[in-house]
Amino acid sequence: MPERELDLLIVGSGAGGGAAAKELAPLCRERGARIAVAEWGPKLREEEFTGREFEMANKLYFDGGGVLTRDKSMTLAFARAYGGSTVVYTGTSLVIRKETVRRWDVPGIEWEDLDLRSRKYLSENNVHLLPAEDVNDNNRLFREGCTKLGYHVEQFPVNVKGCRGAGMCNLGCPNSAKQGTHRVQLPAAEALGVETVTHCRVDRLEPAPAGGAGGAGSAGVPGAAGWLAYATVADGKVGHPSAWPPGEYRIKARRVVVAAGAVNSPALLLRSGLGARLPALGRYFTAHPALILVAQHAQPITNYHGHPKSYYSDEFAESQKFLLETCMYFPFVTAKNLAGFGAEHAELVAHMDTLQMILVLAIDPARAGNRVLLDRAGNAIVDYRLHDDVLDSLYESMKVCARIFFAAGARRVHAPASRKFLIEHGEQDRLDELVQRGELKTGKVSITSAHLMGGCRMGAGPADAVTDPWGRVHGCSGLYVADASLFPRAAEINPYITIMALADRVAERVRGDIAGAAPAANR
Amino acid sequence: MSESQRAFLRALAARIVPPARSLSPAEEGRFFALIEEFLAGRPAVVRRQIGLFLAVLRWLPALRYFRPLDALPPERQDAVLRAFQQGPIGIFRKGFWGVKTLLYLGYYGRTEVYDQVNYRPTTAGNERLHART
Repeated sequence: MPERELDLLIVGSGAGGGAAAKELAPLCRERGARIAVAEWGPKLREEEFTGREFEMANKLYFDGGGVLTRDKSMTLAFARAYGGSTVVYTGTSLVIRKETVRRWDVPGIEWEDLDLRSRKYLSENNVHLLPAEDVNDNNRLFREGCTKLGYHVEQFPVNVKGCRGAGMCNLGCPNSAKQGTHRVQLPAAEALGVETVTHCRVDRLEPAPAGGAGGAGSAGVPGAAGWLAYATVADGKVGHPSAWPPGEYRIKARRVVVAAGAVNSPALLLRSGLGARLPALGRYFTAHPALILVAQHAQPITNYHGHPKSYYSDEFAESQKFLLETCMYFPFVTAKNLAGFGAEHAELVAHMDTLQMILVLAIDPARAGNRVLLDRAGNAIVDYRLHDDVLDSLYESMKVCARIFFAAGARRVHAPASRKFLIEHGEQDRLDELVQRGELKTGKVSITSAHLMGGCRMGAGPADAVTDPWGRVHGCSGLYVADASLFPRAAEINPYITIMALADRVAERVRGDIAGAAPAANR
Repeated sequence: MSESQRAFLRALAARIVPPARSLSPAEEGRFFALIEEFLAGRPAVVRRQIGLFLAVLRWLPALRYFRPLDALPPERQDAVLRAFQQGPIGIFRKGFWGVKTLLYLGYYGRTEVYDQVNYRPTTAGNERLHART
């Protein structure tokens, strides 16, 4: 088996891995450190961003964006690509709220620190508000509907440069406008000497034997002599070839930063046998379970031209535990998210240019029973149960969204928890009667998630947390986590900037830990 | 996918995605190609579950109506499908959602349908947007 020797291996290249790579890259020049980023997915060539729905979903997402939870009640969309999910999000970039950090209640995590670090990434990734002329009707109508009803509404800052309004953010921007880690942090890290290895799945980690990769931490602590990572580089069908030839590798690394996302980071640590010493590993998974709600206007509106996500409302975040965001999806995703079938369903989808859409995100509590675990083959399974409190939030959100749609002038509204496929404008006074909590049945109503969080939560000790507030895995040496799996509870907003802020903290800690150790090349 | 499964999916598509009834042979080939490409990327256990659920969907109605689903009158088929969609048994609802999703993928996943559903994206979306406003 070919071997590689590194000072630092970063597993994953998304918001966490990309930010950590960029922050740690100066070590390549300062100390001659050898740093590699292992990314499961491909680095697509520019011409491979075609904007075609099925094709791009298969290229960029695990299971084409339809990973099912264990009980098949919810689908999870998360990417595998150079840049991770920052390739496929809409670029929405918010700083976490002070109340949320207070609820996180992690000793050592202060909002002021996260705010400062977040603002660094807002600047680095060119986050700004789009001008009014680039806001399409789908977004404008949401703002107008909210305003008429007295709901608080805000414009999303987004991280684009030269956005041409393709409206295909979730399929990877075909205009190279979105400033994810694939455009900003990873190229910057590579310029300083970090190597990115795509098509590379890290299967498991094990502590290196004494005298091996050596040097980090105290003797007797797992990882004190460094880590061995077992990885497989695939012969990818899309994207640039990997920097390493296809095959299986043993990587000796003095330190490892795991940033493979809230599903694959806990799964990797579980495969590495850390579950027994860390009972919280994989647990407290949260997801912002989401509904895509749709209304139809009498005339075509501008919806799929222009940036798809310009406004949000947190009016109901505290009272009803849900957020509302504008969104615009593609024909297949739209079709599968409608509760129904047959002629009325086909008729609605046939008029994509008349549809207004709102994305609902439920703010789900962190529960120990919602977790990532492994199947017999070692693959990740997400065992997530939609509890009544979350379903109650989603139910209430349908009525609120119906009111917003009608206030914005919609002719009819699709509420999945209604026996009627469409609620007409003249029926808007009967929403409480027409939209029934009993009709919100899993399977009937399509529930999705793209904000996957937790599983390696931060906290004071190993009894109920996986890492300390600096991302260091409890009871291990030289092993860190730097992604959304660190979140002890939901982010209660779009999480990417917060992931980067936390990765920034982890990188600072790694730098501090490395300061006293010589690079592997100089041993 | 077996020819029998294809025939059943074709019959289901006629009820669930009515425009699929008028697909040309070439379009239908693309419809099934997308479904098969999707299934090929799923674990074997998932493919087996889908195959099993299709058999349940087809034959469970025979317990009551003495005929498989696709041999029932169209209105009866719709009623059975609605019962699967919103009935009390969660696994039936979720299985039906999975089958619907496959059919929607086959139909709406084809880029050639975009024009028919009034979806005409372009990489220069802002130009179109500014022209309209």
